[in-house]
Parts: sequence; C-alpha cells; structure tokens
Amino acid sequence: MRQTSHILARIAASLLLALAFCCAAGAAGQQQNLERSVKAAFLYKFLGYVEFAAELPPQLTVGVVGAADIAAELSQIAVGRSVNGRPIAVKALREGDSLAGLQLVFVGADVQRPAQVLRSAQQGGVLSVTEIDSGLQQGSVINFRLIEDRVRFEVSLPSAEKSNVKLSSRLLSVAWQVQKGGQ
Amino acid sequence: MANKNTHGITLIAALLAQLSMAGTVAAANGQLADLSLEELNDIVVTSVSRQEERLSDVAASIFIISASDIRRSGARSLPEALRLAPNLQVAQLDARNYAISARGFDGAFANKLLVMIDGRSIYSPLFSGVFWDAQDVVLEDVERIEVISGPGATIWGANAVNGVINVITRSAQDSKGALISAAAGSDARDGTARYGAALPNGGALRAYARYAEADDTYAANGLNTVTGWRRRQAGFRADWEPQGLSVSGDMYQGSLGQLFTDDIAISGANLVGRYQHKLGDGSDLRLQLVLDHTERNQPTAFVNRLDTFEFEAQHGLRLGQHGIAWGGGYRESHDRSTAGATLSFLPGHLAMHWANLFVQDEYALTPQLRLTAGAKAEHNNYTGLEWLPSARLAWMPDASRTLWGSLSRTARAPSRIDRDLYAPPTQLVVNGVPHYLIGGGPDFVSELVRVAEFGYRAQPSPRWSWSATVWYADYDRLRTLEPNPAPLPSQGLNEFRNMAQGRTRGIEAWGHWQVTPHWRLQGGAVLQRVEIQRVPGSRDVAVDTGLDTNDPNSRWQLRSSHDLAGNMQLDWMLRRVGSLPHPQVPGYHELDMQWSWQATPQLELALIGRNLLHRSHAEFGALPGRSLFERTGMLKMTVRF
Repeated sequence: MRQTSHILARIAASLLLALAFCCAAGAAGQQQNLERSVKAAFLYKFLGYVEFAAELPPQLTVGVVGAADIAAELSQIAVGRSVNGRPIAVKALREGDSLAGLQLVFVGADVQRPAQVLRSAQQGGVLSVTEIDSGLQQGSVINFRLIEDRVRFEVSLPSAEKSNVKLSSRLLSVAWQVQKGGQ
Repeated sequence: MANKNTHGITLIAALLAQLSMAGTVAAANGQLADLSLEELNDIVVTSVSRQEERLSDVAASIFIISASDIRRSGARSLPEALRLAPNLQVAQLDARNYAISARGFDGAFANKLLVMIDGRSIYSPLFSGVFWDAQDVVLEDVERIEVISGPGATIWGANAVNGVINVITRSAQDSKGALISAAAGSDARDGTARYGAALPNGGALRAYARYAEADDTYAANGLNTVTGWRRRQAGFRADWEPQGLSVSGDMYQGSLGQLFTDDIAISGANLVGRYQHKLGDGSDLRLQLVLDHTERNQPTAFVNRLDTFEFEAQHGLRLGQHGIAWGGGYRESHDRSTAGATLSFLPGHLAMHWANLFVQDEYALTPQLRLTAGAKAEHNNYTGLEWLPSARLAWMPDASRTLWGSLSRTARAPSRIDRDLYAPPTQLVVNGVPHYLIGGGPDFVSELVRVAEFGYRAQPSPRWSWSATVWYADYDRLRTLEPNPAPLPSQGLNEFRNMAQGRTRGIEAWGHWQVTPHWRLQGGAVLQRVEIQRVPGSRDVAVDTGLDTNDPNSRWQLRSSHDLAGNMQLDWMLRRVGSLPHPQVPGYHELDMQWSWQATPQLELALIGRNLLHRSHAEFGALPGRSLFERTGMLKMTVRF
C-alpha cells in the first residue's frame, strides 16, 4: 500500500516535471508556428545563394507583403546577422507598395493579386518568393510548397533570368524541383 | 518489483526532462536560421501548416489526418486510416464491413455521416450510408483527410448530420514521378503503381492502378465468415493549377465474399471536374461536376445500378466586414434495383434528385469576434424542402486561441431503405390476404436534430496544441420499424416510421505535443452518452433487423511518432474502445506499430504489426457470428523514382 502511494507520487512528480518543461518552453518560444519560422529562416538563407545583377547597397532589404508573421519572424532572425558582411533590414509591405530598393520580396498566401506584385519584382530585379500552388506560374522565382509535411521550395529559372538574378548551383541542388526554360 | 517500477519512472522523468530541453533549444527560432538548407528541408511542420491553420479557424470540431499520419500509421485502407481521427468511432465488422460514425449512432448501416473523396460524395442513396467495401484510394496520394464531428449541413447538406469526412488527394503537381508500393501480410495484400508527369501547358497528370485483397475472418465459434475480398482499381488526376482546373477519374471492379451465396460483384466509375477561379473583383468562384456510376450485385439481396450526375457552384466574396459564401447545387441519381430472394426496392427504377441553395455570412463583429450565420434550403423527392440553418460565433483573442460556440438544425432526408424497402419480394399470404413482412415506409419523414456545441482550441507553443468540444444534440423522428395495426392488402405487416427520439451529449478532446524535434505524441479521447427512446405508442422491432445503433460511452487513443537515427521511424498507436451495450461487445484495447526504414532515397521498407496486445478481439456485432480480429504482421515496400 505504501509502495503504491510512493509510485503514484513519483508518477505525479514526473508528470509535473514534464509539464513544467513543456510550458516553460512554450513561454520562451514564439507564439508562432513552426512552418512560418522555417519559411522565414529559408528567406534569410536564400540571400546568401543569390547573385544580383545590380550593385548591392551596403544593407540588404527584404520586403514582406501580406504576411506580418513572417515579417516579424524574419526581423528577429536579422538581428545580429548579416549576409556577406551586409546587415539585413526587413520591411512589412502592403499590396501595391513600391518594391524599390528591395533585394528580396516575399509574397504571402493571403495577397489578393500576387501576379501584380511579381511583375513589378521582375521589372525591378528583385528576387521573389511565394507560397501558393501556382506561384511559379504566376511569375515568382522561388515558391514554397508543403511536401510530405516539410517546407520545400521550387525554383523557376526563366523567372530568375527575367528578374536578373542568378541562383547558385547549391541552392538549385537543394530545391525540390527546378523549372527550366527552353520553351 | 515495485522497486524496479519506481526506478523506471525516475528514468522516464529524467528522459522527458532532457528531451524537452532539447526541443526548447531547437524551437528557439533564431537558431533555425543557423541550420543548413538541407536541414531546413527536413523539419517536419505537419501539425501547423498554413492550410491547417486556416481550417482550425473554423468554428467547428475538426481533426486533420495528415499524409504523414497515414504513412506512419501503416494503414492500408481508408477505414483503417480513419481510425487516426479521435472524433470518429471506427469498428470493423468482418473482413470488409465497417461501422463508422461520429458522436454516436454507429452501426453497419450508420447513416448520419457524409463522406467525400475530393468533393465527390460516396454515400449510397440506398441507405444514406457508405459501402466501405467498395471504396479505395491510393493512400500515398492522399494529402489530408478532414474529419469534422458535428453537423455540417449548412455547407454540405442533409446527411452531414453527425459529421463530415473529406478525403483530399494531392494535386498532380505534387505527385510527379513513379511510385510502386507493395504490402503483404498474414491477412491482406495490396500493390499500387502510380506515375505522374508534367503536361506541356503548365499542368500535371498522374495515373495509377491498384490491387488489394483481404482474407476471410473467423467468428468466435470458429466458423469462417466468408467476407474476404479482392478489388482492382485504376484512375487518374490532372491539374492545371494556373488555370484552376482539375479533372480526376477512377474505375474499379471487385469481388466480395458473402456467407452462403456467390460473391458480391461490385464495379463502378466516376469522373470529377473542378474549376476554381479568382474573379476580377477578388471574389472566388468554384464549379464542380461529378458523374458517378456504381453497380452492386449482392446475391439474394439485390442488384443495384446507380447513375449520378451532380453540379455545384459556389461563390465567395468580401463586402466590407462581411465574407459571404453562396451557391447551389443539383444532384440527380437514377437507381435501378432488381429484387433478390430476400428483399426488393420498390419502385425498381427511381429517379431521385436533391437541389439546394445556400448562403452563409461571416461577419467580423470586432477584430476578435466573428459571427457566421447561414442556411441551406435543400429539396428532395421524398419530403420536399428541408431547412438547414446554423449560427456560429468564434472569439479569437489572438492567433493561437479560439473559443467558439454553435447552434444548428439539420435533417437526414429519407433514403430508399426508409421508404422503398419491401421484404420478402413476393408477398406472404396471411389469412388469404397478401402482405409484405416489411412494407417500406410510406409515411417516413426526415429525421431531425438540433445541436449545440461549444469548443476551445489553443496552441500555447509551436510544439503543443489541443482542442476540446462539448456538445448536446437532440434527435427527433428517428427511424423505427413499427407493426402496422390494420394492414390493407399488399401493405406491410411492418412499416418504417419515425417513432423514436434521442439525445446525445459528450466531450471530445485531442492534442499533440512535439516532445522533441524527433518525437511527437498525439492523443485523443471521447466521452459520450447516447440515449435513444421510443415515443409512446411505438412497438419498434428494428433491433431484429440489424438497423439498430450501438455506441461505446468512451474511447481514447495515444499515438507516438519517433524519428530514429539512420532514417528510421518508429510509430505506435494504443487505442481503447469502451464496451458496446446492445448487442454486448466487451471493451478492448489494442496496439498497432510500424517500424519503417528509408533504406535509400528511393526505397522505403516498413514492418507493420496490428492488434499486438491480444490473441484476438471483437469490435462489433452479436455472438456467435461476429468476427474476431487477430494479431497480424505485414511487410511493406515503397519505391519512388
């Protein structure tokens, strides 16, 4: 009998311990979901694997349209980090805002007319990233997809060419799919 | 002994603490940016994808079975995959029949659940239920299964009384390349070949062929139930995502065992076309066309041929603070039934139709408070017009919490079994007067239910989320089989009427916990009370016809998914189902396990064990004929290239 209550006490203690750790982690972690965090991390990484035709300013600027969560996440990542010695600034944009001065633009799934944003990205030599099924068809260079529960990205070389950006072979080797031109 | 146990518990506690800390470190999101591209590629984000998050905004009790849940469960058939949803009651009857329901009213002829595959309803208007032994999908190509418990009639129409299951397959764009999978086990075997490729104009196409078979099961008394089966199926899906166009089709043929008769022959084909388009004003248009043909030749019972045509249109637009969805649909089924030796559907040839119009308005009262109200008017050939209204209120104090409540009224419109079932097919002569034993249900009207629900959903951290819903449902005019007090010649001695009432109430809850980046726990439980009573004057004999329902008061499940080193994964699921009252079936708990190994990027091997804890258990039905399910093992091989 005493042994049983002893065991119960141990179980209760271990559960409390487990609970304490889970909730401490919850409080420390962001109130964001993992998918958004992974996408934000990818955006930061992309900057290191792209060559832009235009001369780069001393600071790189990433625009985020219609995805406040990604913008917030990326702003945190940008703190204290740089790409090739250049610090990163993050701008939360609304649909219709100018893309001037950006190196990379992320167009969130909620954006009503992604094709318009993507067109001006191509014209301005900005690397565009989307997260909708038809992203590449609508003209983005990189598009996120959820494949087998993982965030993967596909790449359109014709769009890259139109946008005057060159993607490194390392980036292409990791891409889930690469759309080539030729037609 | 006790000493050993406490030692074990201490170890578990220490292990848990350690693993939790590892998780904390990885979740600190700044550090994700320090991972390599390859490492980012490998992070599993299942539970919290954008799409799922949108669904979780819905003020309803919804559970999503993800593609990885299905793959990791080792399920090889649709009903087995549905066991993963804690809000569904899944009981296997024999090798091919299942009783599947939500919130009670489970039975072989369960009729309060709407089931769709890519928007195509698979319920049979013969009995408002699903012939589970005729349904097959390539589980590898399923993107997710949405399971809603509770009424969904305002959107999906009559029949979505206690729940809606929507099986959604991947876009052809996401299933390029070849896949060959084969599984063989002690009681079942199946094989699938699928190939997907890009089409020139930005589209993609996949085609598949599949074969599956299962052995007979045995009853407690040692007798063979002769319910083994084999099925062949082939199909395709083509998507042109830029144009918003999708076309899919399947055809199948099967042979299903039945005791004391020849095999049941089934066959069918369907074609679904869907068009989704964003209009110039930013509104969404969705059109769907379905053609479906099924045949079922069930010796001694009936031969049924059913041709269905369905068209649906839905338009969604924003007007200031209002999000309005409206649309309509028309469905027509031509049913040709030939009587068997035991029963007939009269008239033998019947054209049925269902026409509907619906409108739903989602209004943001404040940025945090959302009211959704809507109604569907559905017309059917048996009872005319049915009103299916609902109102839902959702309060979202922030992105990670939703508190919601809803009120709905729904109906189950009669199906052929309620109105047109006559048995035996040749009338009995009683005192010189011809009569049917069961003479349809000329006065049978729609079953009605009013439901109140109240739910809370939260994701306190990226790694931990939960959901709980309480409900109360009041059923009226439920089906009974009543003796006919003064049958006229050629009428039935018994007829289907609506002389029962019912109440269900319960709580369903589930959650997931990403304990570490490599270990995930999911659990769910349902506690419910299902009370059905006859109204005064009823002398229901439905119990004797097998049309009755049988529900446990409780059930729960716990699933663990472990990513091991060397590209291996270990998954197990422990489930407990409480006892069933009538006929009495003992409660049981069972364990399924899968160990899988991605041997090369192309080859995956899996070892699947089912019902590992006991030699055998029963899930449904009366003694002595009910099937016992034994411990089974299966080896599965999947090749992708």
